[in-house]
Amino acid sequence: MSDDKPTQPSNVRVLGFVEGKPLVGDRKVPEEEDSVMVWPHLLIRHGVVALAVMVFVLGISLFFNAPLKEMANPSVTPNPEKAPWYFAALQELLSRFHPLVAGVLVPGAIIVGLLALPFIDRNPDTRMRNRRIAVATFTIFMVAWIILTLIGFAFRGPNWGWVWPWQEWYGEL
Amino acid sequence: MSLMDTIRKSAPGRAIWRTPRRVTDRDRAAAHWGSFLLHIYPVRMRREQISFRWSWFLGVASMVLFGSLIASGIYLMFFYVPSPSTAYGDIIFLQTKVAFGQYIRNIHRWSAHLMVLAVAAHMARMFYRGAYKPPREFNWIVGVVLLVLTLLLSFTGYLLPWDQLAYWAVTIGTSMTEFVPFIGGTVGGMLLGGTEVGAQTLLRFYVLHVAVLPTLLVGIIMIHLWRWRKDSMLDMEVASE
Repeated sequence: MSDDKPTQPSNVRVLGFVEGKPLVGDRKVPEEEDSVMVWPHLLIRHGVVALAVMVFVLGISLFFNAPLKEMANPSVTPNPEKAPWYFAALQELLSRFHPLVAGVLVPGAIIVGLLALPFIDRNPDTRMRNRRIAVATFTIFMVAWIILTLIGFAFRGPNWGWVWPWQEWYGEL
Repeated sequence: MSLMDTIRKSAPGRAIWRTPRRVTDRDRAAAHWGSFLLHIYPVRMRREQISFRWSWFLGVASMVLFGSLIASGIYLMFFYVPSPSTAYGDIIFLQTKVAFGQYIRNIHRWSAHLMVLAVAAHMARMFYRGAYKPPREFNWIVGVVLLVLTLLLSFTGYLLPWDQLAYWAVTIGTSMTEFVPFIGGTVGGMLLGGTEVGAQTLLRFYVLHVAVLPTLLVGIIMIHLWRWRKDSMLDMEVASE
C-alpha cells in the first residue's frame, strides 16, 4: 500500500489529510553504539548458533564413528606412539629438544605468558592498527603452534619419522 | 492479548513472573531482571556487542558443546565401569548392544574435540579483539584457566575406553610430568597411582573426568559468565559518558 494514496474506510468521513513528518520524528537509523534488548536480539542469535552447532555434531556423529582399537596391552607398544592431537605440538617439540625445555619450560611459559598477558601488554588501545607488535607476536606464536600441531598429528609416522599424510596416515582422534 | 499475557496475569503467573505487563521497554527490562533463566545475561547490550564479528559466537558454541558433553556423558556413565577388566568390554557392549550407544559415544567424542577447538578459537578471537585489556583483565585470566581445565577434561576422558590408543596416548602425556623439577615425580605418582598407567590410573582419571573437573569447570564458568555480564554493563557506562 502506497503512502500517496491513503485508503479511506467506508464507515469513516474524512475531514482532511495533513501532510508532514510522523509525530515521532524521522525514522532512526540504529548506530553500533545504540543498545538493544538482549531478549530477543542476542538470545535469538544464541539460539541459532546453538542449533547450528548441535546439527553439526549430531550430523558428523551419524557418519563418523569414534575410534576404538584393540584392548590396552602394556606389553605391546604401538609405533608411532601418539599423544592426543592437542598435545601433538608438545610431542613434536619433545622430539627436537631436551624434555626439560619441551615438556616443562615451553608449556609453562605459554600458560604463564597467557595469564600475564593483560599486564604485559599495557597498551589500552583495542584497535588492530595501534597494536601491531602485540598482534604480530601473538600471530607468530599461534601459527607456529598450529604448524607444530599439524606436523605432530599428521606428518609423523613410525619412530617419529617424517611421512606425507596423503601417502601414509598415522593421525589419531 | 496473547495467551502468554493471560497466563502471566493469573495469580500463579504473577507469583512466578511478578511483572505481568509487557508493554514498554521498562516492563520488559523488569521482567528480564527478575527472571532466573535470563539472569546470566545483561538486559541490554550495544548492537556491536551482539554482532558476529564481536565474538564469532565461539563462547556460546563452547557452552553448547559442553552441554552436549554433559548430556551424552551421563548416558555413557550408565554403561561403564572404570576397571581394566571391564572397561573395554563395556565400550564394546555399549557400541553393539545398547540403544544408540555407538551414536551417543560418537557425539561425546566429537563434541569433546570440537570443544577444545572452540575454546582455543574463542581465546584467539578475544586476543584479536583486545578483550584482555581493562576492564576485562580478570576474565581473560579466568578464561585461560577454563582452557587448561578443558584440556585436562579431554585428556582424562581419553584414557577411559582402555584401548591401545587411550593407553599409550596417556602414557606419553603423563611421562612429561617426570621432567618437572621438584614436584614432577609427586604429581605424576598422584595422577598414575603407581609407576605406570594401570587400574589405579583408570579409576583416578575416571573420578577426575566425571566429578572433579566438570564441577570445577561449571563453577569457574559461572564466574566467567558473571564477570562477562558485569563487564558488558560497565562497557555501556563508559560508552554513555
